[in-house]
Amino acid sequence: MDADDLELFSRSVRHALLEHEGAAIDGALNDLGWAEALEEEPQTATQVLFELLGRESATSSSLDLVLSRAGGLTSPMGSFVLPPIGSTELPGDADGATILVRGLVRAHQEPAKVTVCFQAGSRVLAGYLATEHLTFRAVHGLDPTLGLMEVEGSAPMTKLIIDVEEPWWTSIVAAGSLAVSHELLGASRAMLELARTHALERVQFGQSISNFQAVRHRLAEAYLAIESAEALVIAAWEDGSAFSASMAKAFTGRQARVAAAHCQQVLAGMGFTAEHPYHHFLRRVVVLEQLFGGSSTLTTSLGAELLASRSLPALFPL
Amino acid sequence: MELEEFKPALDAWLDENTALLTPSHTGILTMEDEVSHMAHVRRHLFDAGWTRYGWPERVGGLGGSGLLRAYLGESLMRRDLAEPGIYSMPEVMAPTMIDFARADVALEMVPRLLRGDEVWCQGFSEPSTGSNLGSLSCRAERTEEGWRVNGQKVWTSFAQYAARCVLLTRTGDQASAHRGITALFVDMDTPGITVRPFETMHGLDEFSEVFFDNVLVPFDRTLGEENKGWAVAMDLLPYERSTSLWHKAAFLHRRFDTLLKEVEPGALDPRRVGEVAQLLFAFRSRSRATQLRLASGGHLGAETSVDKVLVATAEQAVFDLVAEGLATQVTTGDDPISHRWRSEFLYSRAATIYGGTAEIQRNIIARRLLDLGSDR
Repeated sequence: MDADDLELFSRSVRHALLEHEGAAIDGALNDLGWAEALEEEPQTATQVLFELLGRESATSSSLDLVLSRAGGLTSPMGSFVLPPIGSTELPGDADGATILVRGLVRAHQEPAKVTVCFQAGSRVLAGYLATEHLTFRAVHGLDPTLGLMEVEGSAPMTKLIIDVEEPWWTSIVAAGSLAVSHELLGASRAMLELARTHALERVQFGQSISNFQAVRHRLAEAYLAIESAEALVIAAWEDGSAFSASMAKAFTGRQARVAAAHCQQVLAGMGFTAEHPYHHFLRRVVVLEQLFGGSSTLTTSLGAELLASRSLPALFPL
Repeated sequence: MELEEFKPALDAWLDENTALLTPSHTGILTMEDEVSHMAHVRRHLFDAGWTRYGWPERVGGLGGSGLLRAYLGESLMRRDLAEPGIYSMPEVMAPTMIDFARADVALEMVPRLLRGDEVWCQGFSEPSTGSNLGSLSCRAERTEEGWRVNGQKVWTSFAQYAARCVLLTRTGDQASAHRGITALFVDMDTPGITVRPFETMHGLDEFSEVFFDNVLVPFDRTLGEENKGWAVAMDLLPYERSTSLWHKAAFLHRRFDTLLKEVEPGALDPRRVGEVAQLLFAFRSRSRATQLRLASGGHLGAETSVDKVLVATAEQAVFDLVAEGLATQVTTGDDPISHRWRSEFLYSRAATIYGGTAEIQRNIIARRLLDLGSDR
């Protein structure tokens, strides 16, 4: 996409998110050709949509398409089951012909089918499951607007769609991690914009609080957190490895929390009220930080991996 | 030459010549060792053509993208053949000469710097002028023979070895602030210049005080226009935060890698290791994007303050980790390797201070990037 196309694409995605609600958002994204864009330019399509989802506190089921595509599933069906909160583990486990499922789906209503990846002995497989045997619970939780459902139970597989080696699941997690990273960045930028506006408008001691260095530096810290995380996410796209995607997700989660803390302090009492939109973004950030592995867990595994290999990989060459 | 062609050719040459370029000193590293090793390395790199790539032909270069310089520095850091501080000095000095010196002066002087015939220094900071560079007071007055300079500079890196100095002087009245500054290119052997190195906590005498007592500088050594020295200083800062930071990223990468090889199992908390790796790779990503933007003709401005904060944060984080993981070497070791770790740890304490403090960078981010209005 050239700059003009990108601008037009971003504007229509934003329009789809703002002018529709619930499942109608998925329809609107479909109409504007987001799925085709994902095929042609996965990075641009993912970056634009997920950033806007974060910025607007909106939700869609687009993650299903991102994950299906990463797994090479050409005809995605129903909702894609995500690992449970804080985990990168496979959400399914085979027990004979029955699949035990425990995970999350990002859906507005109970889906008719789910796509689930599961462990079968030493193999990793994916299949479609009819959902009448599964239990769904609409997650209210910390961020009721995120549109998550918890799914649990055991169901017979209706169709086996893929039978592959382990790295396949890793690349699905990597794609999801990058998408969620963009959503975290979008939510972080929205928080920074709220805090910046507040700082400029709020008057204390006879002047705008944006004159105070303590306030300015907090906003600068939030900006630094976002910019550094974004640089790593973009580099991870170019690199294409699961290692860098995981690192980018962990770092973005950590930095989003840093940005959130500084912004909340600048917003002070206003930001603590339910009338002010800040809390929506904090809620979203804390939940997203736990999708595809919590930041602390991922960071600890990264360190353990480096200590075990006794070397720092040569990533991101010129 | 294109980068893709440059990379394998350079790497092959460095592989062949590693022994020639490896530091020869034994025992604890001194500044003299570092300076003479650097001159040796520069000489060979220049004669083989490598340091001429990425610089324009009008100063004796062989042309090509600045990415070639970025990669050259990175390759030297990766092989432990150069220290980033001294190695990257030309990345700041040469562009200033190219942009502001008279063409014949630039053509005469820049190759001497690149070939390692000369070391240059940068006379910016003064005892009363740290973060507030616009308040400097080292005076230059017009006389019939040229500029007459009187005053003092401090924190001047490598001044005791330097043949030339890019010097900022006050030519307007003190109230003219940044509008009354003129940049000069001064021969350090001019009568009236006294250099006094002083010790710093990391044990290498990098810095000096420099005194100017009626020092005469010819008018043709003016860099840019009279009273437009601020433009010279501002032009130089983005260079200070682009290619040289990429070199620093490569240096930190190698030192972190060495730490991972030398650390005893169990000495480091994996989570801390992961956090520092993320910071370092985030800095590298940002610096890489800056390099690519510069190479494609982009203008560098206030956004490089982000790069500067990230390098300082990453450097301190890496050496904080070193102080934990290699605690014996850093705290009680007295062999050369321990000395080196300790010196690097101590030097990293200054990363949030030199080249514009962490606070100044945040002021710039607030004013210029977040558009929060003036802070004064």
